[in-house]
Amino acid sequence: MFLIIKRLWQVNWAEQWQYRANLLMYLLYWLVSPIIYLAVWTSIANAKGSVNGFTANDFIQYYMVLLICDQFTSNIVIHTFGYKIQDGSLSGELIRPIHPMLTNGLVNNIAFKALTIMGLTPIWIILFFLYNPDFSSISMTGILLALPAMGMAFLIGYLLSAAITSLAFWTTRIYSIHEFYFAMILLFSGQFVPLTLMPKFIQEIAQFLPFQLLIYYPIQLILGKLSTEQIVQGFAMAFIWLGISALLFNWVWRNGVKRYSAVGA
Amino acid sequence: MSPTISVEQLSKTYQVPEREGGFGAAVRGFFNRKYKDVKAVQEVTFSIAQGEIVGFLGPNGAGKTTTLKMLSGLLHPTGGSATVLGYTPWELKPDYLRSMTLVMGQRNRLSWDIPAADSFLLNQAIYRIPEDEYKQTYKELDELLELDPLMKKPVRNLSLGERMKCEIAAGLLHRPKVLFLDEPTIGLDITGQVRIREFLREYNKRSGATILLTSHYMADVTALCERIIIIHQGRLKYDGGITDLSRKIAPFKLIGVRLSDADSHDLSAYGTQVRNDEDADKKYIQVKAEDVTRITSRLLADLPIHDITITDPPIEDVIEQAFNS
Repeated sequence: MFLIIKRLWQVNWAEQWQYRANLLMYLLYWLVSPIIYLAVWTSIANAKGSVNGFTANDFIQYYMVLLICDQFTSNIVIHTFGYKIQDGSLSGELIRPIHPMLTNGLVNNIAFKALTIMGLTPIWIILFFLYNPDFSSISMTGILLALPAMGMAFLIGYLLSAAITSLAFWTTRIYSIHEFYFAMILLFSGQFVPLTLMPKFIQEIAQFLPFQLLIYYPIQLILGKLSTEQIVQGFAMAFIWLGISALLFNWVWRNGVKRYSAVGA
Repeated sequence: MSPTISVEQLSKTYQVPEREGGFGAAVRGFFNRKYKDVKAVQEVTFSIAQGEIVGFLGPNGAGKTTTLKMLSGLLHPTGGSATVLGYTPWELKPDYLRSMTLVMGQRNRLSWDIPAADSFLLNQAIYRIPEDEYKQTYKELDELLELDPLMKKPVRNLSLGERMKCEIAAGLLHRPKVLFLDEPTIGLDITGQVRIREFLREYNKRSGATILLTSHYMADVTALCERIIIIHQGRLKYDGGITDLSRKIAPFKLIGVRLSDADSHDLSAYGTQVRNDEDADKKYIQVKAEDVTRITSRLLADLPIHDITITDPPIEDVIEQAFNS
């Protein structure tokens, strides 16, 4: 299995490098919204002193860490796999004795992330010097806890996206379903604004949804803003959602493959 | 011994959305989508023993590829059953997938953006091929298909034929016991076609692998297969020896004669005249197999003949007749 992963990595890494210019564009597009939120909220907080207790430095901290967390936990499986189901190019992978989405698809996404994180690093450093955030609240413990939390969050997000992608076995309109999923992330993950600034009822719903695990929870872990009880609760939620999303993906995939029509080729 | 491939009443019906062209129809189709059932394969039954090479023939849309896709596990059938090497293909058991191959079309096992060599190494890992076995197999494939010069280029920069060679090689690295080949020589030049044929025959002889192949090149089929299965409009039309085919479906022979003054003789009294473009200075008539001796002696007695040949009609013609019967 190790050799399979290694060779898959080599292939996918080489493939991603072929598209490095494309990838850079993608990264810049990706960075636009958080950087705008960062700029807008910081100037509001500067003008008013604070927003609901959030100072300018709180916002800078939040979005600077968000840039990293978002890179770690997001995925692009719908773009790399959806069309394969629709145009039949999945066939070659489906008859290989390894699971297409849980091996090749996963490694492909990780190779993509490795490259975008490389691209993000210089941009992040520039932003760091521009905004000069006070990161004194960050502790090693927080970072060490955030790493497994982000790993699990990536898997949860990947499995949920993979399940939506697998709906392509039924319909060609998976992209609109995925847009809806993105809207959910925007609303409940803390990507738009820190969740504590959202209306109370959204915060309460968000607690039970997987989306805050992708962004808000790891940011709070890194910034050291959570009590022990909240940390434990977060990991428990992550385990539960990992289980749910694995079951969900497995169910959609199994039933979807039965409907695969291997068109085209 | 139970057969390697056993197919029982296998059927596949596709549901294809259907609508007329135009805006109005597009709107109506949105609310009330109509489906048409396309019966691609209908109750096909056959079995293939270990080591056989069987040609799978039929016109476009006959259901050949659909059948191969079901047998390799890509498609779930809508009816009937099949076992290959004791497995139900569409359960996609890794052990099954490791022991068979499906070579189909141009883009299958190779990643377009990187050299084929990298995809080969990936396959080595995926199929758990030990290093020395991999090297040995690669060497054999390279000798037959001259792969080495192609290995370092990104697959997208290879020509159609070069890509096909690499596809076939990639599909055989794990030495499968069962081969499903959909048009394995498509896009290849004559030398390439002959090489692939020789390779398949040799592979079959050495490993005892079972091969089911479709091809539009009749030469592939006549060179490799003793047995053919013909399907037309999803139904099995013929299953048997390639030599029996002409006897059963078209019990005719072709008599070709070269005459000293060809134009002055009318051969239509002896049998149906047929054209043969390859040999224009000869005249050909088609006669029933049982009449061959009688008509030949009449021809020899009546006409100034320099040369006479008696042959089976071309297999293409026979199959054409089988489809139309």
